[in-house]
Amino acid sequence: MSIDINMYSTNKQPTWCPGCGNFAIHVSLKKALMELNISPSQAFISFDIGCNGNGADTVNTYAFKGLHGRAIALATGAHIANRKYTVVADIGDGACFHEGIDHLINAIKSNYDMTILIHDNQNFALTTGQATVTTKQGKKMYALPEGKPERDIDINQLILSLQPTFFAKAYSGDPQQLTEIIKKGIEHKGCSVIQISQTCPTYNKECTPQWFNEHIIKLETLSQYNNSSLEDAQKLAKEMAQTGKIYTGIIHQHSNTPTFYDRLESRKDIQSELVDEVQEYDITQLLKYCN
Amino acid sequence: MYLNRIIVKFGGQSGQGINSVGTILTKSLNRAGYYTFSNREYPSLIKGGFANYQIDISNSSINSSSKKTNILCCMSKNSLNQYITDVLPNGVVIYDAQTLELEPQEQEYVKENNIKILNIDSKEVAKQNNAPAIMANAVLAGLVWKILKQKIEILTDEVEEMFKDKNIDMEAEKACLLAGYNTPLYVENLSQSIDTEKLKRTSEKKITMTGNDGVSLGALAGGMRAFFGYPMTPATSIFKFLGESANESKIVVKQAENEITAIQMAIGAMYMGTRAMTATSGGGFDLMSETISCSGISETPLVIVLAQRIGAGTGVPTWTGSGDITAAVKTAHGDFPRCVIQISDAKSAFTLTQKAFNIADKYQLPVIILTEKQIAEGLFSIDSLPPIEKIERGLQQGENRYQITESGISPRWIPSQDEKPYLHTSDEHNEDGHSTENAQEVYEMSKKRDKKMNLLKDEIAEPEYFGSPKAKTVLVGSGNTKNPILDIITNNLSSEDIAYLHYEYIYPTKTEKLTKLAQEGKRIILVENNQTGQLGKLITEESGYQFNEKLLKYDGRPFFIEDILNYLEGKSI
Repeated sequence: MSIDINMYSTNKQPTWCPGCGNFAIHVSLKKALMELNISPSQAFISFDIGCNGNGADTVNTYAFKGLHGRAIALATGAHIANRKYTVVADIGDGACFHEGIDHLINAIKSNYDMTILIHDNQNFALTTGQATVTTKQGKKMYALPEGKPERDIDINQLILSLQPTFFAKAYSGDPQQLTEIIKKGIEHKGCSVIQISQTCPTYNKECTPQWFNEHIIKLETLSQYNNSSLEDAQKLAKEMAQTGKIYTGIIHQHSNTPTFYDRLESRKDIQSELVDEVQEYDITQLLKYCN
Repeated sequence: MYLNRIIVKFGGQSGQGINSVGTILTKSLNRAGYYTFSNREYPSLIKGGFANYQIDISNSSINSSSKKTNILCCMSKNSLNQYITDVLPNGVVIYDAQTLELEPQEQEYVKENNIKILNIDSKEVAKQNNAPAIMANAVLAGLVWKILKQKIEILTDEVEEMFKDKNIDMEAEKACLLAGYNTPLYVENLSQSIDTEKLKRTSEKKITMTGNDGVSLGALAGGMRAFFGYPMTPATSIFKFLGESANESKIVVKQAENEITAIQMAIGAMYMGTRAMTATSGGGFDLMSETISCSGISETPLVIVLAQRIGAGTGVPTWTGSGDITAAVKTAHGDFPRCVIQISDAKSAFTLTQKAFNIADKYQLPVIILTEKQIAEGLFSIDSLPPIEKIERGLQQGENRYQITESGISPRWIPSQDEKPYLHTSDEHNEDGHSTENAQEVYEMSKKRDKKMNLLKDEIAEPEYFGSPKAKTVLVGSGNTKNPILDIITNNLSSEDIAYLHYEYIYPTKTEKLTKLAQEGKRIILVENNQTGQLGKLITEESGYQFNEKLLKYDGRPFFIEDILNYLEGKSI
């Protein structure tokens, strides 16, 4: 069966504001699936609640639009049930770094084989522009006329401190690079975290495409950068924090950490998936485990 | 014989091996063919505090504890003071120290009731047998076994089997059992009132299991392939069973970072088409409630075990009660269908857990299985488990995942690369799963879901009636309430002819049988292990029937046989 990009879309129109970065992110996701030859029936996307999740209606794959902050946790359950599926958690910065930060931390540590796309527009947009941890300190936001009082959290350092097996940064204004990064993330065996800086013309007026162009540097332009070195990645993160620059590309990737599933003794050498195994079981041999 | 049983109670502190001696004796008695019910009470701390283990022994199946005891074996002064006045006339008190100091009123009680006292320094005996002090409990096990007039081989065989894969010095353990059994301190008249002759065993070795073991086995029999847990008493031992047996059952057992993650993983796994479960207690259940609501609107099957303990907040963490019935039925926002089932013992745990999965799959909704500490950690003895239930999933292909149908049940198929993909969503949605704010669509989809409740209500069983149809008094309850009441009915322990109406399916709530009994003029008594009569409130809400008489207990203790008997005789419980 030949796959074309339209197969990944429903007949619904997106509801985002003109100029929203979400358009490019979801197009890039669909394109990445298509180019990897993963059909709509072979992918599962766990959408969060927020502007990104409002795109769920427009994407034609197996999908679940669940609860705010929980897209990663739900995706994990889906992945464990059937590893044949390409599992993607699609989540905003508010949901990922606020309500569901524990899920991000544990997904990275557990190294589930799935891909996490973080739509980072630096605010809670669907609820009309509240501050998130990626909103710059001092910036005036909804209900904060004096500006956001708290310090920012250095997300790069936070993620790198967890020794991720795949951490990339991308930008919605460069869908070509974004598509390539998503493809690499899906192909990576392990937990791939992709933080995507995106435009939000309604609630983040400062960060215009021009602003991003001035701040973004593609990693590939660095002549000496070894992304398999966690130390190099941490140096880069430090530089980003000091200068306000955003490097895009695969910040860090390594493959010597096994995935969660591969470490499960109980599933060693088993070829079938949990979804194939629902049947009546004789439990006589298990009575010995009673108290 | 007192309540057709012989009762042995061990008392002491956490960390003294009380649980292990209780379990050894229970399993040995079951090996000898006796029926038992064993209940463990312990504080929410690791060392010290106050712990006890009671074994009720009978020649017929029993599932409850009595308040009184024939043999009390105390490993701490504290427990002696607490329980000595519960020892039955002609009973035996074993006190684990060289000397015994009783309060004057305790001396009086001992004298009046002809209670025999035996002092044994079990640690010293263990030492003499080159065993570590922790094996002192084996000395006590041997001694009690002797008083029960049982053959020593049964005890040593059982201990050998229990510890065969554990790093334990079996020679020392056996030496301690024998030293207790053969202690020169034992005299024949200690066993005089312990009428094991009348308890002659009638059949084969029994299977010993807790309610949580029953839930775990039921889940595995019913094709559950993933368990997502987070520790919380008294649900935790489900996690233990499934984790320890995982290399044999080949399932995935995952300790999630919190309860919200656990239930989210479960709903994700259920969407993909396997069977998954999570288990928790009240506080964890509250955290899960948003996902239960999500399961309801998105019509994703979900099975949650809610193991109750007593109290709001942290409550009394290691003690029993059934005060979360309302939470199970009403928790979470919005109108959505659900099913609530309550188990009462190891066998019903086994069967109802399987049924829970069938209901969740067929009706595409969350099913909450209620258990309670007394059942979850109580040790039941059974001849065999009921037959395995046939798996029913109700899967079918369709054009639209949320198609409006006459029954309210829409087609659901397992995600597969050969099938049409679909979106599950917690947004209100139309038939193809896309979110909607259209008034007609919002109304119709909500109505469709609600229709499933009618069908479910038709399928589930009416509450079961136990006892003579002629009985004038009918007690009504659910969960562990069944156990003392049924033990009374089966063993004819009440002077009055009573019957019992038992609810397994709590919600949707069937009330025809009950209202009919009320119309016939029966005396109806609601019996619940909570403060407000939560099952009763549901029945009233459904039928309008008001309970005039309620027996409610909410002190963290289960209903003992005597509580029910005293109430029926008009005494305070």
